[in-house]
Amino acid sequence: MDIVGQIVGGGVSKITIREKSDKEIELGDLLVVEHDKEYVILQVYDLNYASQIPQDIREHVAGMQLEGYGTGTEFMEPELRNYIVADAKVLIAIENGTPKIPKRLPRFFSYVRHPQEKDFSFLKKPKNPIYLGKIRSGSKVLDLDVYLDANEVIRHHILIPATTGRGKSNLVKVMLWSLMDVENVGILVIDAHDEYYGRHSSGLKDHQNAKEKLVYYSPNALTGTNTLTINLRSIKPMHFEGIVDFTHAQEEAIRRYYNQFGDEWIIEIVRGTNIEGVDSRTLNVLRRKFDNILGVFTDEDGSIKCRTKVFSDVAGEATIHSIVSDMEDGKIVVIDTSRLLDQAELLIGSMITSEIFSRYQYYKSEGQLDDKPVIGIVIEEAPRVLGKEALQSGGNIYSTIAREGRKFKVGLIAVTQLVSEIPRDILANMNTKIILGNELSSERSAIISSASQDLSKDDRTIASLEKGEAIVSSVFTKFAIPIKIPLFEEMVEMDKGNGKSDDSEIVFVG
Amino acid sequence: MYKFAHIADCHLGAQKYPELKKLELEAFKTAVTRCIREKVDFVIISGDIFHSNIPDMNIANESVKELKRLHDSNIPVYVIYGSHDYSPNQTSMVDIIASAGLITKVVSGSFVDGKLRLEFTTDEKTGAKIVGLSARKRGLEREYFKRLDRKYLEEEPGFKIFVFHSGIDELKPEFLSEMESIPLSLLPSGFNYYAGGHIHKKILHEFGKGYIAYPGPLFAGSMRDLERSAKGSKRGFFIVKFEDEIENVEFIPIELCEFEYIEYDATGKTALQVREELLAKINSIDVNKKIVIMKVKGELASGKTSEINFSDLRRALMDKGALHVALNYHSLTTREFTEIKTKATEIEEIEDTLLKENLASVESRLDILKGEKGFILAKNLLSVLRQDQKPNERKEDYENRILREAISVLGLEEVLG
Repeated sequence: MDIVGQIVGGGVSKITIREKSDKEIELGDLLVVEHDKEYVILQVYDLNYASQIPQDIREHVAGMQLEGYGTGTEFMEPELRNYIVADAKVLIAIENGTPKIPKRLPRFFSYVRHPQEKDFSFLKKPKNPIYLGKIRSGSKVLDLDVYLDANEVIRHHILIPATTGRGKSNLVKVMLWSLMDVENVGILVIDAHDEYYGRHSSGLKDHQNAKEKLVYYSPNALTGTNTLTINLRSIKPMHFEGIVDFTHAQEEAIRRYYNQFGDEWIIEIVRGTNIEGVDSRTLNVLRRKFDNILGVFTDEDGSIKCRTKVFSDVAGEATIHSIVSDMEDGKIVVIDTSRLLDQAELLIGSMITSEIFSRYQYYKSEGQLDDKPVIGIVIEEAPRVLGKEALQSGGNIYSTIAREGRKFKVGLIAVTQLVSEIPRDILANMNTKIILGNELSSERSAIISSASQDLSKDDRTIASLEKGEAIVSSVFTKFAIPIKIPLFEEMVEMDKGNGKSDDSEIVFVG
Repeated sequence: MYKFAHIADCHLGAQKYPELKKLELEAFKTAVTRCIREKVDFVIISGDIFHSNIPDMNIANESVKELKRLHDSNIPVYVIYGSHDYSPNQTSMVDIIASAGLITKVVSGSFVDGKLRLEFTTDEKTGAKIVGLSARKRGLEREYFKRLDRKYLEEEPGFKIFVFHSGIDELKPEFLSEMESIPLSLLPSGFNYYAGGHIHKKILHEFGKGYIAYPGPLFAGSMRDLERSAKGSKRGFFIVKFEDEIENVEFIPIELCEFEYIEYDATGKTALQVREELLAKINSIDVNKKIVIMKVKGELASGKTSEINFSDLRRALMDKGALHVALNYHSLTTREFTEIKTKATEIEEIEDTLLKENLASVESRLDILKGEKGFILAKNLLSVLRQDQKPNERKEDYENRILREAISVLGLEEVLG
């Protein structure tokens, strides 16, 4: 056994380990304590200097060395007198190969060692795996893949908190890449930066199953992909809830237009059709608002035009239906909204999400839900729809899904820099958190207080996570697993060569 | 200024009832007459002139007469196959008429360096360059589109028309959302006019410097078309004026009769209540010389659907002078019976859904009987078995023909000799 230290004190919440002089223990390191057929995995959350020599003597000796008072000022047997102690917590106990929540302390004075891959043999690859990366001990990466069961974790929501530049997008790409191999999962990605499909670089399009599993919509479609076109008749007043603020008068006007014109309500507003009970000033404000949000207006001939070409009164009648059907068929649907304003992007997400949620509610009522794939909705900058401010004027479809989605197999994969903006009750429903580095203390507290495992000692560890390092805290894992997420581009490169040839011979019959 | 007419989805031979058969032909005749009167320079029919590859001989005869009228008026007709009037293993009536010189097929091409290079047909009088891609079943059509030599088509100068018979994802209406279709991005760019067929709804969509146009059917290819006509959908075709660019696209409606649409929700009512209320409704409306579409849906609280006695309702409508009565109660169920539920309302959709559902429970060692392959096989077999005996065809010949075609569909020619 390659011993790195020995337990010298502490208690359940803090086990003190003396570091062996020629070994190095890092913050976040996993350490193993063995006893008979059992072993316990610890995690280091703090490091301190310790010495057998009183502080004033240490300071005096340092002074002599610094000020040049001759030689022979070294300590006798320094490796015995000065050393490092690590504070660690017990992550998990393994008894006869079965992981258990630890209820007793490891033996006093036990030796500790660095972990090996076999120590984690209790981690199994689930049936519908989402790949997250490899187990990490401090900054060392073990050759052991970490998966979660997509079926379980997605319906119970995933939260990915991190500040800019810590690898949120890379993590989502890695997760989606692995889901391209999973049959029973449908995903919606509202892609505000057009980065997941891989228009200009590596992306999901490079996966061997892309032809069957990936659907891409963009206002600027590539050959063979879909043009994002949404018919104005598909938009219902409810789709704006929690996304666009309307005054009471505007809401009332919208209600009247919807009652009178049904699906044509927005078209009639854009056309400026006056109706009884709606002031023309309110109508004009609404027209301007829809122009700002959706980019729709009427030209001199009275025809409806859209600046972004996404919204139309002619095309796109079946778009929402097709997207939802694709998700129901277990596909990953990526929607490029990079050319749209924030509210238009959220509106499209709201339309699709409402439709899939409504379908799944129906399937549940009909007893058909078990046959359907679990649905995940990737939402970036989640506080835009799940934040306290967004929810002030009432709920929206995202908050409904956050609270009730798991009953209907619909979950969120919410990415955010500002966890503290999301109400506690919603955070409590997000049962898996993949925590990346975060230097903001207030955000770390919000993350720690809502984690599925006790991360109260991990504040410093979270602050020190490098780009690509993360902690997975989930009700579906026995302990908070430290991971190293691979670089997406490297992952794509490694998988290259697995692609299916698309050059099958066909004959043209005219 | 030149003019051409764009017609699609005539579906001649789709109707079974004499009164509807007459209207179906009448619609085609009216369109032809209008084309001659308007002195169009040519006509494009973007697929499904006929409802099947070998239509009833009377239908064939009448339609040939109309095409001959166009021919005699020096109006060329350019066509492609649709999804109905093409057969992969049989000659189609379209081929016969093309061989007679009454129409010109504009689908010609070959694979060059892995790319599908389509060749243009140039209309002599106007110089318009026309190229087409016929409908093909399940995925093959999409594959053709994906492999199109786009650059070759796009670099061709002049006034260009692309003729196709496919649904387009972004343009298909909500009621056809399950229809197999291709994305807009697979169409070659730079054409002045994209003459589409297959979507049974009038659509005119600006695309690049031109338009993508679907005129929809001239009359009706299915019960759903009749239903949508009754709900107010206009039927007809386009006349397009052009020189170097499109000047104007005009929809020419064909209105041969009036429609009456009755939709009734029977949910929570007894069968007898439904019957009485429907009879009262019939008595209160004018249906004289109209096509009446009656759709009854919902779940009866009690009683059998048969107790409504739809034959009586039909008779009452006919007695009031209705030209034709179409009853649709596929979506009507009763609590007293458990039925296989399907959201589909068209017979073909219901058939597809049921086939797929039942195939899922079929246990077979043969791949061809399972999944999508099994579904296609069943569909093809059904389409063979559904064929009627042709006029003057002897019973024995009819049976032999069906048997031969069925054996061919099943791929058993070698086994059975």
